[in-house]
Amino acid sequence: MSLDEVALQALNGLSFGALLFLLASGFTLVFGLMKIVNLAHGAFYLVGGYVGVAAFGASGNFPLAVAAGAAAAAVIGLASERLLLRRVRGQELPEVLLTVGIALVLADACLALFGGNPRSIPIPDALAGGVELGAVTYPAYRLFVLSLAVAVGVLLYAVQHRTRLGALIRAGVDDREVAESLGIDVPRVFTAMFVFGAALAGLAGVVAAGLLTLRPGADTDILLFALVVVVVGGLGSLQGAAVGSALIGLLDAFAKVWAPELSSFAVFAPMAVVLMFRPSGLFGRSRP
Amino acid sequence: MIPRSWQSRRTARLLLVVVALALAASACAPGEDGGGDQAGGSVKLGFISPVTGFVAALGTDMRRGWEMYWSQNGGKAGDTTVQTVFEDDTGDPDVALTKARRLVEQEQVQLVAGPILANTAYAVAGYVAGRGLPTVQMTGADDLTQRKFDPLVLRVGYTSSQSNFPAGQWAYEQGHREAVTICPDYAFGWESCGGFVSAFVEAGGKITKQVWHPLGTQDFSTYVSQARQANPDVVFVGSAGGPDAILFYKAWTGFGLKDKIPLIGNCCFADQVFLREVGDEALGLQSFTYWVEGRDSPVVQNFVKAYEQQHKEIPSLYAAGAYMMAQVVAEALKKTGGKIEGKAFIDAARQVSLSDSLYGALTFDDTNNVVGPVYRTQVARREDGTLWSVDEQTFPEVSQFGSEGKEAFLEHPVFSRDYTGQ
Amino acid sequence: MTSVRLVKAAAAAVAVAAVVAAPYVLPSYVVSLLTLGFIAALLAGSVNLLAGQAGLVSLGHAGLAAAGAYGVAWATVQGLPLAAALGVAGALTLAVSVLYALTTMRTSGIVFLMITLALGITVFGLAVKLSSVTGGQNGLTGIRRPEPIGEWWQFYFFTAAVYGVCLLAMAALNRSPFGLTLRGVRESQSRMTSLGYSVRAVKFTAMVVSGGFAGLAGVLLAWNSEFMSPSAVSFPRSALAVVMVIVGGVGTLLGPLVGAGIVVATEYWLSSYVERWPTVLGVALILVVLYAPRGIVGGLEGLAGTLAQRPRRKEES
Repeated sequence: MSLDEVALQALNGLSFGALLFLLASGFTLVFGLMKIVNLAHGAFYLVGGYVGVAAFGASGNFPLAVAAGAAAAAVIGLASERLLLRRVRGQELPEVLLTVGIALVLADACLALFGGNPRSIPIPDALAGGVELGAVTYPAYRLFVLSLAVAVGVLLYAVQHRTRLGALIRAGVDDREVAESLGIDVPRVFTAMFVFGAALAGLAGVVAAGLLTLRPGADTDILLFALVVVVVGGLGSLQGAAVGSALIGLLDAFAKVWAPELSSFAVFAPMAVVLMFRPSGLFGRSRP
Repeated sequence: MIPRSWQSRRTARLLLVVVALALAASACAPGEDGGGDQAGGSVKLGFISPVTGFVAALGTDMRRGWEMYWSQNGGKAGDTTVQTVFEDDTGDPDVALTKARRLVEQEQVQLVAGPILANTAYAVAGYVAGRGLPTVQMTGADDLTQRKFDPLVLRVGYTSSQSNFPAGQWAYEQGHREAVTICPDYAFGWESCGGFVSAFVEAGGKITKQVWHPLGTQDFSTYVSQARQANPDVVFVGSAGGPDAILFYKAWTGFGLKDKIPLIGNCCFADQVFLREVGDEALGLQSFTYWVEGRDSPVVQNFVKAYEQQHKEIPSLYAAGAYMMAQVVAEALKKTGGKIEGKAFIDAARQVSLSDSLYGALTFDDTNNVVGPVYRTQVARREDGTLWSVDEQTFPEVSQFGSEGKEAFLEHPVFSRDYTGQ
Repeated sequence: MTSVRLVKAAAAAVAVAAVVAAPYVLPSYVVSLLTLGFIAALLAGSVNLLAGQAGLVSLGHAGLAAAGAYGVAWATVQGLPLAAALGVAGALTLAVSVLYALTTMRTSGIVFLMITLALGITVFGLAVKLSSVTGGQNGLTGIRRPEPIGEWWQFYFFTAAVYGVCLLAMAALNRSPFGLTLRGVRESQSRMTSLGYSVRAVKFTAMVVSGGFAGLAGVLLAWNSEFMSPSAVSFPRSALAVVMVIVGGVGTLLGPLVGAGIVVATEYWLSSYVERWPTVLGVALILVVLYAPRGIVGGLEGLAGTLAQRPRRKEES
């Protein structure tokens, strides 16, 4: 493979990984802070995506569509957390199962509301076309997704480590009782985080609608990828999500070229390996 | 070694009772639910399609097409009243099988039509034929009317490879000598590419690379780049339609290949679902298919108009296919005088010959498959601005065996990763 | 006998009678659904064995069922006699169970969940990939059942009997010292280790035993449909098995059966009348988790205990 080809596939992998990061970051943050494995995260993605598609169809405005999708997912997330998840706070298995139930209902609602046809967003003119990178014309939209993921990642990191809000959150995670006794309204912070995670998923859904398609089953497909990313990167770690997404994206891209027979396993193999030898993931904290 | 609890008399007795009852009971057969004979002058048919699940769009279209035929004909075939019971198979073979059982055993239908996905079709056809009832299919799975032929199974449609034989031939005639194929890595994809490849190679062409992608691939960028690297004269894409086709084409245009390398699509690539999502980028796209919604035939245009009026969209090949199934069933019913008796019905159906239909002029071959025209189409804009495919060239009387003929074709194995048609 | 025991014995007798009477009073289609229900209950039971006793929830058990199913399917299509076909199914099930066991015996909780998820998907992927053996997506047709259980009602009795025997076996297992060990592992792994138990060996054994039941369910599944394709053993199937266990009541003996009944009824029967059946299933799951965390059977047992109004010996069910 020539250097050009390697670079091309690397970009393919990284841009797909960027999408995975947008999704996985929300998932891993919610887990890190609230210890909830939110298996409805893919459904939030789907809802946000469909709403975004509808909004774009109605307005032709891409930023509006993104905002609408994120908002819709956020609302669903809020409802899920306040009405349902809060009642089983702290119980691992019931929380997971509740999210499974929510996912079932949301996915079916999407089918009922938006139909079974695959939907996507035509790439807005501003982001359409290709960018000349050496000998290759690379789709501009994919570069946009890449930059968006980087921006989101930087923002999340900055908030987590440089702001008071971030400190509050980290305090709530490290020692809930002490944080509460210091007057921090921990449940509220957690709700806010869950809603934010859902909004991120919705954002990912709208952005993905320009790259992939939304259809029944897309929620489980993308959720599986996200699960692999956070398991490899470490549940709860933002750096882990970033490294994990890049790794999985690249693996997916190169496996398709070099070992197409194994392309579906190529993604799950590292997950299995990591789980066997370093169950907390590359950047995860080993839990007591 | 036996756990102490097993030695308890109560458990042992319970065990004995269970086994004894089962043995005793299995000796007496309960009454059979026989296949019902409908009241004179009417028949009851079963129709299975995936109305929910990941291929919900196809299943819904199928139902609409089937229903449209009967509503246009007053729910009758000649003098026989036709009643249909609909079931949803969700795209899963076990569900399909259970629904088929319900149709046959509980609803006592006399014939089953559908489903569409190959594995569901095989499961249902196996069961229904095993009960001695005829079944009508539109799935493309090659072997259904080839190496796995069953006299009670009729396919009103084309095999997955059938419509691609003319494609390979034509590509060579256009002067292309090196081709790359991109097909999904499962039976439908192997068979689709197999059709193109066997014809292209037979004509003298060379396949430089075959790109196989998993079904449900989200990101086609890698596959498209590989095709580009091989720098062929032409690329053939065999798609099951829907999301895969849309995603592939997004990657294809995204990499700027639309005007650089000629692309040929299979039957199901540029269908209406695709065109609605992809829009103007699809203009000029060439495919080889059997359902052309823009074909200038009164039969086709009447159907399109009526369907559009009712459902607000141009009928897809799944709607057309189900309509065709209904039509053939109706014609067969007219021949048998409203009777459905296993093989006799299928024989009658096989005799059906249409001078024009949604597919064109068609007949059936002796393994119960359509022999009919394949069209080279191009995506164009209708007067009102919507996109559809129009035919540019017709290849009449294409058989599922291509140019080889039945014996020679059946000598080689079904198209797969090991036998790709080269 | 105490009155509770009497009631239980009577209930069991009625249940057995109903099961036996079914093919004579119900239409064949409904009976075939019952058969499917028993098979699902067996798979759910295998999940329950690990989840209820050892506290390990597996999201990949369909992969174990796949081993049994494809084993018997492939062997039958090849023309092997019954004993050999069952041998192949058994060997394949054992191999896959050992694989599952080796990769999970050091883990628990969420990590166990994730690994079993990955394993299940891997097995599914293999079923799709190795198409020359498994028939790929199109699947394998023509898997004829053995002669004596060929008819729908014969197969029904056979499946019911197999399920009954397995149920008793699982009950016996729960009451046995091994069951006690499993529950010990669920309560505290460190304590078990300090007591001298090899937690890994215990988990390994539990997975292999559970896999055995799952593989058996797979064989029955292949015989039931006389057809086998990867979708029968996909991730949603594993997830549904867990849903069955939870809705029925994790840790209870009859929970898997009740849960299987509800899920099968919804997926195969309700779906003919209600298009939004997945919503029904999702809502049911949510309601169970929120209001009946011990599942339906668990809830009923609690109710029965309260109603009995006498000091109840802590029964290990």
